[in-house]
Amino acid sequence: MKVRFWLALWSGKIVSLILKVLGKKGTTFPGFITRKICPEIIRFLALSFKEGTVIITGTNGKTTTNNLLASILKTAGLKVAFNREGANMLTGITGTLLQNTSFSGKGKADILLLEVDEATVPGLCEQLTPRLAVITNFFRDQLDRYGELDTTIKLVKDALPSDTKLILNADDPLVAQIGIGKTDVYYYGVRSLPSSKADSDETREGRYCATCGQELTYTLFHYGQLGIYKCLFCDFKRPEPHIEAVDVHQEEQGISFYVDEEYNIPLLGFYNLYNALGAFSAADCLNIAREDIRLGLMKFVSDAGRMEQFALQGYDLTLTLVKNPTGFNQVIQTLVEIDKPLHLLIAINDLAADGRDISWLWDVDFEILATNKADIHQLLCSGLRAEDIALRLKYAGFAEDKIVIEKSLAQAVVKLGEYQNIEKDAVFILPTYTALFPLRDILVTKKGSDVKLVEEESA
Amino acid sequence: MKLIIYHLYPDLLDLYGDRGNVLALAARCRWRGIDVDIRKVSLGDPIDFAEANIIVLGGGSDREQSILVDDLSSRGTELKDAIEDGLVLLTICGGYQLLGQYYQTGEGKKIPGLGILDLYTVAGNKRLIGNVIIDIESGLKKNISWNYSSNVDEDSSQRLNTLVGFENHSGKTYLGSKLKPLGKVLRGYGNNGEDNREGVRYKNVFGTYLHGPLLPKNPHMADLLIELALERSGNVSKLLPLGDNIEVVAHKAIIERFGSNR
Repeated sequence: MKVRFWLALWSGKIVSLILKVLGKKGTTFPGFITRKICPEIIRFLALSFKEGTVIITGTNGKTTTNNLLASILKTAGLKVAFNREGANMLTGITGTLLQNTSFSGKGKADILLLEVDEATVPGLCEQLTPRLAVITNFFRDQLDRYGELDTTIKLVKDALPSDTKLILNADDPLVAQIGIGKTDVYYYGVRSLPSSKADSDETREGRYCATCGQELTYTLFHYGQLGIYKCLFCDFKRPEPHIEAVDVHQEEQGISFYVDEEYNIPLLGFYNLYNALGAFSAADCLNIAREDIRLGLMKFVSDAGRMEQFALQGYDLTLTLVKNPTGFNQVIQTLVEIDKPLHLLIAINDLAADGRDISWLWDVDFEILATNKADIHQLLCSGLRAEDIALRLKYAGFAEDKIVIEKSLAQAVVKLGEYQNIEKDAVFILPTYTALFPLRDILVTKKGSDVKLVEEESA
Repeated sequence: MKLIIYHLYPDLLDLYGDRGNVLALAARCRWRGIDVDIRKVSLGDPIDFAEANIIVLGGGSDREQSILVDDLSSRGTELKDAIEDGLVLLTICGGYQLLGQYYQTGEGKKIPGLGILDLYTVAGNKRLIGNVIIDIESGLKKNISWNYSSNVDEDSSQRLNTLVGFENHSGKTYLGSKLKPLGKVLRGYGNNGEDNREGVRYKNVFGTYLHGPLLPKNPHMADLLIELALERSGNVSKLLPLGDNIEVVAHKAIIERFGSNR
């Protein structure tokens, strides 16, 4: 075993080095090689982080929660190893471990933070026992990959070792049910959001009690199935949160909320409040001081493609990932509140990472956008499924002459810039996962050439 | 003119965007000046079968589907009578299976369906997932071409002779000898992945595994349902054509990308 371990570690490290020399990025290929040689490598590598491993799983918010937690822990002076978005299956996780382990087999960080794909939780937990497991939420996402949501939840619940402390979103009954019968659970939640309602006709999962199957009763809906709920037929109800946000406000620069004192995050969208609370709770369980939590959240720098701002020549735009109905509805909520004419580029792909089935577009409440933003200037539809999103928007009630199909992402960005008076509009680009990075590259390049253009003009 | 559309259990069967079918029917009526009244029905809510013009029943996850079987069974006789009388009914995936005699689980247990149509479903051991293209059955094709007049372009290449959608099911459905499918599978699995048939048509009842949702990208099918419903309530005039530009482009895009005929 020993020999195999060292062979695997060194092969992986050498392959990484070669890739680096060749100027290529990637954690997946070295991870693949290493696991071929020693399938149990994660077990050994994970032991070298003295503060243990924290895993973050769930449908939405894994990456942001992971990065928020990293920001807090770094503020507190810990050396943190964490995986990048997309590297959240066993091969990618192995790659991350390789990067953070020296040739002599020593961990280069104090603590390991892993966002883990829901279906990968069982495989990972065979090899390591996480110190903490944060579960953000469960929404329908990529059903065609995992079958139905119930299966996913059961998979995660059954896989989590009894020694792992669970950090659960109390407001999501699908997550909270994982705490039933477990003792070491820490809950977080939100008492009320400015947008919370007593009633909801939004698409939502899990309306039914996990214990007895009766419909749950809500006194407040935050969004989706998240809210204040209880079952009238048995004793299942929203658990009392250990960390609960109250007095929540959203301003142009971000969200403010109170737990024991005031906290701020430089992120928009109330789903990001939940991400912050997940990170907050994990940090709390790791005995991080509240002052470090406050600073870590405040200093957080938003990730690529999550309400990321681009200043192009003549206009600004915001790039944000959309990948399932709930996430998209949250973005629409943010768009509705903007006090300027809108200009949208929506890019829908249907590759494996996006989910092959795009019927989820019909569960997004575009009707709310069409009702509130009838003055929208343009809806550019792009990506492999440009026609499908165009059709969806037509049936949502948008005038057909505002809907433009341009399948090429690059051409779609060009068309955006050609629009007259675009500088007065709020411009958003909303891509699915596999369209995000190509679009980001296009925008980064464009930003570079725009800057050059300005320099030439002023010279 | 007015159509009453019953949307059954939208709160339970809301997987895979099937509510898009109701949105499509409603919009296509509205654009023609036909009033629509959409009635969402949940467990225990009344259904006035005498008034209903179109009933839409979608698919859901196994758990939520098992909750509604009892509720629907209690209305089984009324539903059957209405169907025999020509009620327009669109059923998708789980809703489609439910019309049949039974669903046989992996353990061999037969869960009774509504028993309205001579078909049955057997649990398969793999999920049948992917894009689907169907060549519409000839009788149905005739109904559609009498009915559907798209004014996209005058040229006949704009005629739609196919249905497109996305399937995701593990149940394999088999039709009794007298039942006709919606068409022949050109791409995908269809009813069971074995006999190249997809869906079922009996009188004005349509069953299919096609999500996507079905009707927005298949406007000829949407209009057929509207037309059949109007006909049954005594209106025989043809539907006004709509500018189905985006609909046809979206339909053709699937055929170009996934079609078996190059």
